[in-house]
Amino acid sequence: MLKLAIKSLANRKTSALLTVIAIAVSVALLLAVERVKEQVQANFANTVSGTDLIVGPRSGDVQLLLASVFHIGALNNSMSWQSYERLSQNRQVEWSVPISLGDSVSGMPVVATTAGYFQHFKYANQQPLKLQHGEWFNHSEQAVLGADAAEKLAFNVGDQLIIAHGTGGISFSQHSGHPIDVVGVLKRTGTPVDQSVYVDLETLEDIHSGTPDANADDKSHHSHDEHADHHHPTNAISAALIGLKSRQMALFMQRDINTADGEPLTALMPGQTLQQLWKTLRVFQQALNGISAIVVIIGLLGMLTILLASLRERSREMAVLRAVGAGPGTLFTLLVTEAVLLTIIATASGLALLYILQISLAGVIQQQTGLLFALQWPTAAEWWRMLFVVVAGFLMSLVPAWRAYRQSLADGLTVKV
Amino acid sequence: MAYAIEIDHLAFAWQGGQLTLDIPHWQVETGESVLLRGPSGSGKSTLLSLLAGVNLAQQGNVSLLDQSLSNLSGRKRDRFRADHIGYIFQQFNLLPYLSALDNVLLATQFSPKRRQRVAESGQSAEQLAIQYLQRLGLSASQQQQAAANLSVGQQQRVAAARALLGAPELLIADEPTSALDSDRRDDFIKLLLELSEQNNTTVLFVTHDASLGQYFNRHVELSDINRAAGGSPHA
Repeated sequence: MLKLAIKSLANRKTSALLTVIAIAVSVALLLAVERVKEQVQANFANTVSGTDLIVGPRSGDVQLLLASVFHIGALNNSMSWQSYERLSQNRQVEWSVPISLGDSVSGMPVVATTAGYFQHFKYANQQPLKLQHGEWFNHSEQAVLGADAAEKLAFNVGDQLIIAHGTGGISFSQHSGHPIDVVGVLKRTGTPVDQSVYVDLETLEDIHSGTPDANADDKSHHSHDEHADHHHPTNAISAALIGLKSRQMALFMQRDINTADGEPLTALMPGQTLQQLWKTLRVFQQALNGISAIVVIIGLLGMLTILLASLRERSREMAVLRAVGAGPGTLFTLLVTEAVLLTIIATASGLALLYILQISLAGVIQQQTGLLFALQWPTAAEWWRMLFVVVAGFLMSLVPAWRAYRQSLADGLTVKV
Repeated sequence: MAYAIEIDHLAFAWQGGQLTLDIPHWQVETGESVLLRGPSGSGKSTLLSLLAGVNLAQQGNVSLLDQSLSNLSGRKRDRFRADHIGYIFQQFNLLPYLSALDNVLLATQFSPKRRQRVAESGQSAEQLAIQYLQRLGLSASQQQQAAANLSVGQQQRVAAARALLGAPELLIADEPTSALDSDRRDDFIKLLLELSEQNNTTVLFVTHDASLGQYFNRHVELSDINRAAGGSPHA
């Protein structure tokens, strides 16, 4: 039966091929929507790990998270250094890292922070940042580059870079009086870390306050002295990453910070906020799913049309099969087999197409968005989608199969031409 | 088992039409080869559809090999047909996309009984099919060709091989020679009858051409056995 179905299809290669292509493309689309969603979520989820709370100026959770970790969008306000200090001295806090954003180097975001960032920031499964070349910065006028930033800027250890004010690619306000030495390049992480340029918080303070280069040594000297007197490296920061002694306390801390008197702040738990973000985006996700499902159904309807149209020219085939003893039920099975075979081939091709696209576009996607699309075996959700297509194909095949059944009963062994 | 075909008080009319067939009694003995002749529109096709069990008689009885067709369910009639009767049609006998050999092998694909009889012969279905095709004059390379690429005469010979594979008790041929020229036609019939005789297959050959009568045991005019005057409304 299968052999017969294959040979019969091979006899109608052109229409079978077109059907397969149409369905395959639609299946690839259906799977791509799921895969993009999955990989984006995985990428985002991988970006922060080990950070229990992110605290920043009063704003939306999602906005704060996107700006502070993903460098998407910007924060309108800042958070005072006093608030940060008070927070870092809270007895629940194990570590805290301040970050200050808003500058860039040729479009790559500059993250001004402390050496604590390299110590505490973790991504994926609690993986720490590692250096590819060089070392961490240990004072101002030094920078460490993310892997992509180093690649795109074509900078390496020993080069000098100029920080521009603002996050655009072109800035009219270049801090050209403050060339900064690249002292290290980070290993690739597949997160927005790769895109960033890391400098010391004091560097940013220096260049914004316009302290001349000549005073740099003097300044650092001073700061050493003044550490004991709680010298402020800067007046305001964008946000703080916080690790707690006990993760269970995160919810209480979050509430405390959000409701505290004084400077209005927002605290968020990264995982929870990401979930909130996905929930917001679910509508779009569902719309995309709906559209791609409709495209699949259109592809299958194309198959239905082709199968139905072929029935007329195949009445000869049906009559011959009837004459050699195939019952109407056998013809029914034959047509269903054919359609299911087509659908399975098409679905497999769609999956292959998805992988081909993923492999060929991975580089471009990473360059454009920083998202690393991991090659992986299809997920359960993807298998379900493929099953949906095959089942839909099967259900559609019942129509021509039923027609063939009825037709073969009516025509018997004769051929109506 | 005395009769390969036995018809009793058969009456058949197409929906809402006049009687097409009215046959009080007719029979074909086992092992006979019979030529049934009638002009087109005389009810030949209707009679064939009744013999094939595609349509059922409204009155009377059609028995093949002592089995009354009206007593069988649709599925059993399909099985009975596949097991016991070989058919050759005027045209459209083969699946164009299968090779000649695969077309012949279709005969056993849907019939366990034919497979069994092939097995009893001690040869595989494929060996037998190749033998038949060779005897009918198809070379090894022609046997592997898609049916669509064969000439009409070759196609009819492939159809004959298929009808005979697995030694069915009855062979029904419906104008199989109408597309052949007279030399090829006579050769074809001689071979067909020769192979049928070896298999002990009863042959009912339906045609409008009276000149073929010489090859058969018996020549019957449909008008002699059918009392209905009208023909098929489709004709």
